[in-house]
Amino acid sequence: MNKVLRIARREYLATVRTKGFILGLVLAPVVMGGSGIAMALLEGHVDTRDRVLAIVDRSGLAAEALVEAAKARNEREVYDEESGEKIQPGYVIEVVPPDELDPQAQRLELSNRVRRGQLHAFIEVDVGVLHPREDPVASRIGYYAENAAVDDIRRWVERPINNHLRWLRLGEKGVAASAAPDMFDWVSAGPMALVSVDPETGEVRQGRRTSELEALAVPMVLPLLMFLMIMMGAVPLLNAVVEEKSQRIAEVVLGSVRPSHFMAGKVMGGVAVSLTGAAFYIVGGVIALTHFGLSEHIPFRILPWFVAYMLMAIVMIGAINLAFGSLCNDAQEAQSLMLPVMLPLMVPMFVIVPVLREPDSLFATVLSLIPPFTPILMLLRMAVREGVPLWQQWAGLAGMLVAALIAVWAAGRVFRVAILMQGVPPKLGNLFRWAFRG
Amino acid sequence: MNAVEIRDVTKTFGKVTAVDGLSLDVPRGSVYGFIGPNGSGKTTTLRMIMNIYHPDQGSIRVFGDELRGACTDRIGYMPEERGLYKKMKVRDVLRFYGELKNGNGVKAEVDRWLGRLDLTDWANKPVDALSKGMAQKVQFIATVVSRPELVILDEPFTGLDPVNADVLREAVLELQGQGTTVIFSTHDMNVAEKMCDFIFMIFKGAKVLDGTLAAIQDQYGSDTIRLRTDGGAELLAGVAGVEKVSNFGRFKELRITPARDPQRVVADIMALTKVHSFELARPSLHDIFVRIAGPEAQEVERE
Repeated sequence: MNKVLRIARREYLATVRTKGFILGLVLAPVVMGGSGIAMALLEGHVDTRDRVLAIVDRSGLAAEALVEAAKARNEREVYDEESGEKIQPGYVIEVVPPDELDPQAQRLELSNRVRRGQLHAFIEVDVGVLHPREDPVASRIGYYAENAAVDDIRRWVERPINNHLRWLRLGEKGVAASAAPDMFDWVSAGPMALVSVDPETGEVRQGRRTSELEALAVPMVLPLLMFLMIMMGAVPLLNAVVEEKSQRIAEVVLGSVRPSHFMAGKVMGGVAVSLTGAAFYIVGGVIALTHFGLSEHIPFRILPWFVAYMLMAIVMIGAINLAFGSLCNDAQEAQSLMLPVMLPLMVPMFVIVPVLREPDSLFATVLSLIPPFTPILMLLRMAVREGVPLWQQWAGLAGMLVAALIAVWAAGRVFRVAILMQGVPPKLGNLFRWAFRG
Repeated sequence: MNAVEIRDVTKTFGKVTAVDGLSLDVPRGSVYGFIGPNGSGKTTTLRMIMNIYHPDQGSIRVFGDELRGACTDRIGYMPEERGLYKKMKVRDVLRFYGELKNGNGVKAEVDRWLGRLDLTDWANKPVDALSKGMAQKVQFIATVVSRPELVILDEPFTGLDPVNADVLREAVLELQGQGTTVIFSTHDMNVAEKMCDFIFMIFKGAKVLDGTLAAIQDQYGSDTIRLRTDGGAELLAGVAGVEKVSNFGRFKELRITPARDPQRVVADIMALTKVHSFELARPSLHDIFVRIAGPEAQEVERE
């Protein structure tokens, strides 16, 4: 067997035979999906304690409407019809007469009541809300709470007040509520999947209604798997080479193989590790989804791209990790290099939400064409929508290929010099000097 | 024919010249000892023979082949500090190293050597579990398991207890008996004297000694008197013609100035104190080493 393959085999076996790898294989998706699972679990879990909301109504038009709306809502939504169990918090509206002399003192007092937990929030309605165009400054509605910006009740409060104000405006023009009771009924736009042709029957398949969770979670699966595979296949090479250097194993191995072959073997071992992990998840995922009748979620069109991007990513990031590792004399030094090593992986994770929401924006397109970010971001864009231009997908792959070749070339030069150099602390200056000058 | 031919080799690291214009021939089938103080260039020379370092100047041929880019599968190398994967089992790591050299029949050879060095019971244990001496023996097996024609051992006996040192020494001599060329570096002058056909000393990157022990000793002549006396070292140091007194407890070793007749020196000592025994000897390797690299030599050099 070729020496490169022997090194690759050892590297592969040394990784996959450990309990950590097997445990990681099982636990990683649980940990990564943990927040999603937690969100799903918490979605059904609601704090049902009543919320007391104070309203200071300077217009004299809103308080009553809000009280009525709260009453109607409490009757309709708070208790489960069948079991009679309380499933939602009730909204209790406390109407507070406005203090015209010192409104600021009143706001402070109410704020303190919120702080003490006596109130959930208080609402202040300005005098001119009925005709905001006449005096925009005196026609605001203020919602004061601990986390007002993300408080769902703030959105609920808006609707009954505004609906009532609309009826009042119509009433001024002589339109009675009884004339058009559905005047302000609201019809939401349901999020639907695109209609497609069933490959088996040839029929046009109706688009499904999708949930927000599904829209966010499904496209994230493959990019997250990519992240996981890079973490499994490429990142551990850093510590592996630090062990080989500090334990003087490198010296023995280099008595048998050239540094470039040593490095190539290790990268191949990393590739094999990630292919094993990916095969485990993809095969497992396909079997599980098919079993549960969810095979339509299997992104067969993206899987070949996933494998291609993953191979390039492991080679590129693996080589960089080996170069970094060869600079370190011990695990502590390796630890200090983790940040620059992890950065190409962390950046795509930071921007995952904006790219998910707008996969075709200039920001998402440009970032997904930058080689270290391509595997995760291009994959994410492809998972969100089918229409990512083919040239961009190929350009991403070509960029990765070029970047991987450059990384291997430069890392090989650094590795050759640094692997036997003892006692020299890792410096980025050395990294670049050796990469360019050899 | 020579196993190794080094010609005018120089190797520098930054501003430090580790090896300076070195030439050396290592005959096939010989045991060649490399001695020299720490940092004198021994390991660098060994690494260059292994093709781990490339010389800046000069050439190195192993079995007649220029090394640059050549295959080093015919050489086994045991570095000074042991390099074994700690988590791997002893047998697995030995097979890995043997196969990395494209060795034939590595499996059988691993088991044979494990038995030979009394390590069979440890074959399936992780390297982590071995004592330092055992790890050293495992490293030795890793070096020879591919049946290389040239074996290079960097400080193979350091840190071994006398029993294990003997076992390893016998193993080295067994290899030589099978025609293997052995190069090893050592700080133990006794080992070098007893085991080596040739001794090479490097000091500050340059060759200062090279040849058989007898030839090296001949360079220094019979300028040493080894004797047991009642009188102490201070008394002997005062005798005319005595250049240096080394006190070894049971006996003392005197270095005599070339101009002085050793017979006269002994006669002078007998006049001063009782002499139980005396022997006119050639300087030991230890003595020669100290003469070249000891503090006195360094002082002379500075002057």
